[in-house]
Amino acid sequence: MTVLDHFWGILFISLHALVPITLAATGEVLGETTGLFNIGLEGIILLSALTGALGAEAGGWLVGLLAGIGTGMAIGLIFGLISAYWRGDQLIVGVGVNLLALGFVAFELIILGAPGFHAVPRAAQVPGINTPIGRDLSPLIFVTLALPFLLYYLLSRTQLGLKLKAVGENPAAADVAGIRVNLLRLLAATLGAGLAGLGGAFISVDWIGSVTKEISAGRGFIALATVVFSGLNPLLVLLGGFIFGFFESLATWISTFPGIKEIVPWQVVAMVPYIVTLLVVAGAIGRVRFPAALGRPYIRE
Amino acid sequence: MKGRIRLLTLLVAVSLLVSGLAVMTGGASAGAALKGRVAVILDVGGRGDLSFNDMGFKGTDEAAADFGLQMDEIQSASDADYLPNTRNAAVSGKYDLIIGVGFLLTDAFNTVAAEFPNQKFAIIDSVVDQPNVMSIVFRENEGSALVGALAAMVAAYYGYPKVGVVLGIEIPVLYHFEAGYRFGIAWGNKKYEQVKGTNPNIGLLWTYTGTFSDIAKGKAASEAMLAQGAGLIYNVAGPLGIGDLEAVTEAVRAKGQEAGPPFMIGVDANQDYLGDGHRVLASMMKRVDRGCYKAVADVVHGTFQGGIVSLGVINRGIAISRYQDLLDFIQFGINAKAITEADRAKIISNWLEMRGKIPYWIWDAVSELEMKIVSGEIVVPTANTVEEMQAVRAQYPLP
Amino acid sequence: MKGLALISRLRPFGESLLAGLVGLAVGAIIMLIYGFDPIEAYIALFRGSFASLYSLSEALANATPLILTGLTFAIGLRGGLFNIGAEGQVYVGALAAIAMSLFQLPAGLHLIATLLVAMLAGALWSLPAAILKLTRGVHEVISTIMFNWIAHFLAYYLIANILVDPRRAEKTISILPSARFPILVPRTSLSYGILVSLFCAGLVLFLLWYTTIGFEVRAMGFNPAACRYAGIKRWRTALFAFVIGGFTAGLAGAVHVMGRPPSYAIFSGLGGLLNLGFDGLGVAMIGRNHPFGIVLAAIFFGGLMSGGRLMQISPGVPLELIRVVEGVIIIALAIPELVRLFRLFKWPLIWRRT
Repeated sequence: MTVLDHFWGILFISLHALVPITLAATGEVLGETTGLFNIGLEGIILLSALTGALGAEAGGWLVGLLAGIGTGMAIGLIFGLISAYWRGDQLIVGVGVNLLALGFVAFELIILGAPGFHAVPRAAQVPGINTPIGRDLSPLIFVTLALPFLLYYLLSRTQLGLKLKAVGENPAAADVAGIRVNLLRLLAATLGAGLAGLGGAFISVDWIGSVTKEISAGRGFIALATVVFSGLNPLLVLLGGFIFGFFESLATWISTFPGIKEIVPWQVVAMVPYIVTLLVVAGAIGRVRFPAALGRPYIRE
Repeated sequence: MKGRIRLLTLLVAVSLLVSGLAVMTGGASAGAALKGRVAVILDVGGRGDLSFNDMGFKGTDEAAADFGLQMDEIQSASDADYLPNTRNAAVSGKYDLIIGVGFLLTDAFNTVAAEFPNQKFAIIDSVVDQPNVMSIVFRENEGSALVGALAAMVAAYYGYPKVGVVLGIEIPVLYHFEAGYRFGIAWGNKKYEQVKGTNPNIGLLWTYTGTFSDIAKGKAASEAMLAQGAGLIYNVAGPLGIGDLEAVTEAVRAKGQEAGPPFMIGVDANQDYLGDGHRVLASMMKRVDRGCYKAVADVVHGTFQGGIVSLGVINRGIAISRYQDLLDFIQFGINAKAITEADRAKIISNWLEMRGKIPYWIWDAVSELEMKIVSGEIVVPTANTVEEMQAVRAQYPLP
Repeated sequence: MKGLALISRLRPFGESLLAGLVGLAVGAIIMLIYGFDPIEAYIALFRGSFASLYSLSEALANATPLILTGLTFAIGLRGGLFNIGAEGQVYVGALAAIAMSLFQLPAGLHLIATLLVAMLAGALWSLPAAILKLTRGVHEVISTIMFNWIAHFLAYYLIANILVDPRRAEKTISILPSARFPILVPRTSLSYGILVSLFCAGLVLFLLWYTTIGFEVRAMGFNPAACRYAGIKRWRTALFAFVIGGFTAGLAGAVHVMGRPPSYAIFSGLGGLLNLGFDGLGVAMIGRNHPFGIVLAAIFFGGLMSGGRLMQISPGVPLELIRVVEGVIIIALAIPELVRLFRLFKWPLIWRRT
């Protein structure tokens, strides 16, 4: 095999690996634009991987994906309610969601009779499509590639996008201008979490075809890193998601590749994206600016 | 019924073997009053893997049902749970026998068995040197040599340059698998040369994923191996096999087909019924269920003794999967909801077709190796420490 | 007036109690939905957590590292920092402690040296986040998440390579007996490590409430604008919070491997170390970021964990339900309106006063 063959192989795996990260990160960009910082993405992905699998078994892959989105939106709604309307601490809610999901998924798997994992039957998984670049590709890959562009358009070219940004940048001024700050935040949080939910359902209903109690494997946190990497630019989210997906795949690849695995430890490769993110946010590559009101509830004076 | 008789035969054989080996005394006398309960403590892998843990559960469950005992299952959420879980079970004093399924429970059993000398314990995959502990170990290297030889010859037959193995956490038990597999591949290469005149030089791709639970890692590792030319992937990581099989299935589909190659090789249980019966070529069966059954039966019959029970190819504690095993384990798969009753006929016919495509001489060669292991003519290397493993790797580098 | 002061002091306690009850209630509802008997389950939970010396010891053993990681988060939050880096610092502290067992030292000295090195390692791992915050304005949530993951993979590497037990590849070498904490209550998991945790809680109490720097830290968390005006240096308070937090988190990793029978080692996959940092966050929240509250909350959490083990045997409720309860408690505590919601129903006077 030539070096190029290997490169294509890794790239092909990356295409799948980038989906949950990019979806969750795109949703988080929407939320953070309005000033809500949701570190519960990991929990949302995990929980919706479970509900997605159960939904798919009950009514096919479409129901499964919808169940995932619905789960994400429900958590997003609760998160939005607590952090926007009740002025709760966003970070703490996020941590709570992560713990709750960790416990509930493991709990439910035991109830389902097989604590180790729960498999989604082949027939209930998303059917692959054949394309010029490869056979049996998930259609969600293309959805994922398109969404950041859509969000980019929404944020920079539409009236609604301007309002969303205003809410995150200067909620008091937005309020004076007649924008319903908390409502927009709630909406963004709900929709954004819905995308993370889709990412979770993708893992179980499409990519891996089963749920385990640690199926999210840190992808929610990686999505957060991707958001920071992007500086809330949806197009850079796509790039970030790809880089993270690529390194995830590369690390596994190296761990199986004789001759290289003895020299380059895969654990070091797996660290690289986190180090890159730190360098990026530390300003080595460019100053990143976040909404002024990020993480703070809006209290009308 | 047939299975039961075979099981009894096995039990008799094993008991004879054990009583021949063991010189321990002091087990409870026959007829001692039973409390009617057994506990199964699982390690972090947990049940639902369709292999190792489920096999331990299956054997204990069957024994409990046969002897009218109640079985309690105790899960461990992390390795901080092993000691308290084991101790809780012993402290309660409710159990006739406490079975630990998995090597990771070794330290906990060592500690608690010393604290409760009158409590009977059994542990799978580890040697706990205490008079009240039955240590049930397997010679996985022998079975792995069989599937290794099969894999090398089949890969060569279908024109693949490599075979792969996806392992779990780096524990000594897994070294048995890796060492045996390496030996088997080398043996298969040589055999192929004898028959066909050219050495296929099938190479080995191997990785320790460091997990017995993250299925995604199994899939990613298998994808990487398949892309590097592996024709068969041996699953040595319990539930990760689900991920391995996903990768194999996608590779098969990408060729526009349904039946392998590439194939997966199952582990511990018979996993041939997965993949519609024609993507898992064979399984290295490690009869954890029989070990657990034996431990319970011995307690019930008052013949329980501490010491080592070693199961290998010779006493069918280790075996390569055959037709009868497929029939037995389809039911196991149905019970675990991995397949449905409607799949049964299709799986059987697919399996027969898959096996039929492999030339006869390859199966004969595998049988030959099996015979030579049983007779002792061939001693399959094994490893328990890092150094021993490195020595085996150096002897069979399989580039 | 004195009564009022007492009531306002009790108020956080009441809030935590309320959140705890909400958590247990949600747990009970889930059990009912799945057909378990919540009363039987909670009785088992209590028996397994506090009803005997054995179960109390197990609860305290679980609490030992949680007190320390709880302190890490609390010091940060008191200083206005959301430092969730304890998770990674725990790994680093535990790795450093294990590494100290590559050397032979006399018994008592070995233990103290190991603790010191683990402390330093935790603080060193915490320092870059502080520096990034102070020099480049990088939010500590982001940097600590990154450092947690880097520590995660670093641990994987070291466990599999440098620190691996040559005879038992699934774990690191064990802490040498000369550096282990002796068992405090025989036949339990409780070691003298608990004393380290309690001592640290006392020390943090002293540092935060009875020293100038401690006052500055708390003032910074309370009102940063006023602090700037008063000339309190932000870098001083932030460094203090990160470094002391790193010390305690590093110690948490160390006491876990030095005082937890039977293996005294780190397993590949990190096993028992996982989530110690995040659980500490919950502990700090329930303990209202006060050392005294943290000790109580950690014992409560530790009790839930050990009681959960019994709960899964007798009524058969899966152990993992405990984490659900934990998550709900934390979410409930994040809702400032929670108390007000309950006040609508004419609850006792304690909550009427604001």
